[in-house]
Amino acid sequence: MTEARLVEDLLAFIAAGEADEEAFNRMALAVFAHQFETNAPYRRFATQRARTLRTVKSWRDVPAVPISAFKDLTLSGRPPEECPHVFMTSGTTKGVRGKSHHPTLAVYDRSMTVNFRRRFMGDFERLRMGILFPTEQAMPNSSLAHYLALARSEFGTADSRYFVSDAGLDVDGAVEELSRAEATGEPYALLGASFSVVHLMDALAERGRRFALPAGSRILDTGGFKGQSREMAAEEFYGRLSAAFGVPRRLCINMYGMTELSTQFYDDGNEACPSVKSGPHWIRSRVINPLTGQEVPRGSTGVLVHHDLAHFNCASAILTEDAGVEVEGGFQLLGRADGADAKGCSMAVEDFLKAARAP
Amino acid sequence: MERAGHLPGLSADAVDWRTLTFRRGAETLDVAVPVLTEAQIAEVATRVRTNARACLKNRTVAEIAAVIDRAVARLLDRNGPWRQKAERLLPLVTGYDAEMVRLGLTGYLKTFRGPELRKFLAEDFANPAVLDDFQPMPKGGFARAFGPELLLHVWAGNVPGLPLWSLISGLLVKAGTVGKLPSAEPLFAGWFAQILAEIDPELAGCIAIVWWRGGDETTERAWLARADTVVAYGGNDALEAIRARVPVTARFLPYGHKISFAMVARSALDAAKAGAVARQAAYDVARYDQQGCYSPQTVFVERGGRVSPREFAGYLAHELDAIGSKFPRRSLSMAEAGSVASWRNAEETKGFADPSRALLGDPAGSWAVAYTDAADGLLPCGLNRTVTVVAVDRLADAVPGLAPYRAFLQTVGIAAAPEELFALAGALGAVGVTRLCALGRMTAPEAGWHHDGRFNLLDLVTMTEIEGSAERAADAFAPYTD
Repeated sequence: MTEARLVEDLLAFIAAGEADEEAFNRMALAVFAHQFETNAPYRRFATQRARTLRTVKSWRDVPAVPISAFKDLTLSGRPPEECPHVFMTSGTTKGVRGKSHHPTLAVYDRSMTVNFRRRFMGDFERLRMGILFPTEQAMPNSSLAHYLALARSEFGTADSRYFVSDAGLDVDGAVEELSRAEATGEPYALLGASFSVVHLMDALAERGRRFALPAGSRILDTGGFKGQSREMAAEEFYGRLSAAFGVPRRLCINMYGMTELSTQFYDDGNEACPSVKSGPHWIRSRVINPLTGQEVPRGSTGVLVHHDLAHFNCASAILTEDAGVEVEGGFQLLGRADGADAKGCSMAVEDFLKAARAP
Repeated sequence: MERAGHLPGLSADAVDWRTLTFRRGAETLDVAVPVLTEAQIAEVATRVRTNARACLKNRTVAEIAAVIDRAVARLLDRNGPWRQKAERLLPLVTGYDAEMVRLGLTGYLKTFRGPELRKFLAEDFANPAVLDDFQPMPKGGFARAFGPELLLHVWAGNVPGLPLWSLISGLLVKAGTVGKLPSAEPLFAGWFAQILAEIDPELAGCIAIVWWRGGDETTERAWLARADTVVAYGGNDALEAIRARVPVTARFLPYGHKISFAMVARSALDAAKAGAVARQAAYDVARYDQQGCYSPQTVFVERGGRVSPREFAGYLAHELDAIGSKFPRRSLSMAEAGSVASWRNAEETKGFADPSRALLGDPAGSWAVAYTDAADGLLPCGLNRTVTVVAVDRLADAVPGLAPYRAFLQTVGIAAAPEELFALAGALGAVGVTRLCALGRMTAPEAGWHHDGRFNLLDLVTMTEIEGSAERAADAFAPYTD
């Protein structure tokens, strides 16, 4: 199947609105076949695990690539130089960034918009937005920058704006916008990286400012804290968030996405933490024991594997480093599944690398 | 419910207890750990100090060692109640295989018998009597060594019995002792104090074994403020946090996390010897599932022997598999499994780019050996029985690459001929390695080991010197003076 045909099929699959096990399976096998044929490193990876076009019969058999592999391998069906869009992870302890190549963003963008409308916009066609993240121009390799730019262009009003630039967080601008929303009663949407939201809340607390945003206003945060601002437990974070902006916790929505995916997960607000995350019909998740690759019994903690049909050019099945548990209606995220607290006095990888880089 | 700690002079009813629950499969153990108020902390600290002044300082070091010896003997007695309790509960608390714990305890405790304690003393003091009384000094005059009145140990980790090392060191220098139990193994140190209390209640009154939640700044400060000397174990972040709270007048002795490795020379790689060498190396990897600072994470193997480094990796894999069926690895938390998996995944991925690399492992993930031809140098593995075999032309070639990690190097388990051993030892010592031992012995340091190259006892004491001038001047004031 050609790439163009696959893209067409995927767009139709998304448009179909739902997919049963059989339909998902059929599409997943087509995507796997495409990746196996066009993506040499992925083919080697799959073959090593004895997963070939002949042996893979179900989407569950498709071998999941550990996200760390995106740092070492070029996982792209099309030669990288033919891919105008490259999303990169934000750097890691090892200083190597994982890359996802996109020959076209048609599927990525459709995946994002269809899902975003359903999970974040409620009954609104457009909302006035404030974005707590740099622009796409400032961060051309950030999938989150692209995601937020898309949110603004497709779902934001014309006067939606960014509050993060080279100069840092524009607290004055945010205060002005939020005050305006309060005064006019026009529902407002605040979107951005979780750590920027923490910065803004800290800045507002310093000024003693609180807002009561109009009914229908909502907040989207994503990404966790990545050491960029002080860690906050989810419970405390959403409690503060709701209090600082006057937005009910059911409209404080967390998006869980990754550079190595073309589809995002959302919760239905954070009245209770940890919230339940779920994705649309073109992505499915499994919870496995990372050592054996076997699915853990439902309700047990394991590591998340996502199978995202929209990530057609790279590897649609990925093994994350996120711990999770399957629950009714989706899964709960339980933090990262590595960097275990050292039990003894033996040095662990992260500490070692950190120590080795210290001056 | 097992009660942890040892609180001289405080009745159990007067103390708040918190429960730590340990689960292994169907078995559960609740351990109650003491949570002291600030007033109780002050009370216990004062009592330990006063008791130490009254009791320990008036005992000879030989008398103290004799009591320790009797306590250790009780723990070595397999029919004794303490030993049976330890064999039953430590595997449950730490998750380590019961047989591994049993063997490990015996090997470890043996290093604290009477004659071994004399080795500890002799390692640090040319004349251990200096701990009892003023002794003549070569430069003239006299000197006596005094241990701290209050020595605080902040222990960490789950390797069974590890706190004993510094606890006994402190007692040998007659220090009033407060030890903070590690949450991962909160039993052993308290048991030892309780055994001492059975044998010699007066001496046990100089020891308190306490607990606080890691990161409980208020409690930690309260203890630190009262200590003369602080010995602390843990990662550098934890140690840094403690150091910031230690009074500037107190001595701070940190023991950070370390990395160790093994070296196999071609002289050990003939068909007759390589198997045994691999078995010993595998034992070092498997013991305590690599949680110890002395556990090897990399094995440098020299090319040019009858058995190639690649073949040696195969031997090592075979031995790890065999050990695994005898002493299964403890079951891992999801976070630990994640660490092992991400290490394995990364090694496997590197193999796609570089076919000289290989990853040997069992499908259940209970051990793994990575092999590389590349000049990779020292790299931490995923722990829990994972190790990298790095092929080198000459073992000495591996040494320069170690230099950046000077502050973190500890033990090298080595299989090499005598001349090679001494030649390498010089180079390794120069880059920061502090201990060389035989393969198979990495996780069992000998009595009197200078932990991280430091002096177990000497670091704890201060010397009080009577200078020659005082002695000579005193003559003038003697009743018999002319």
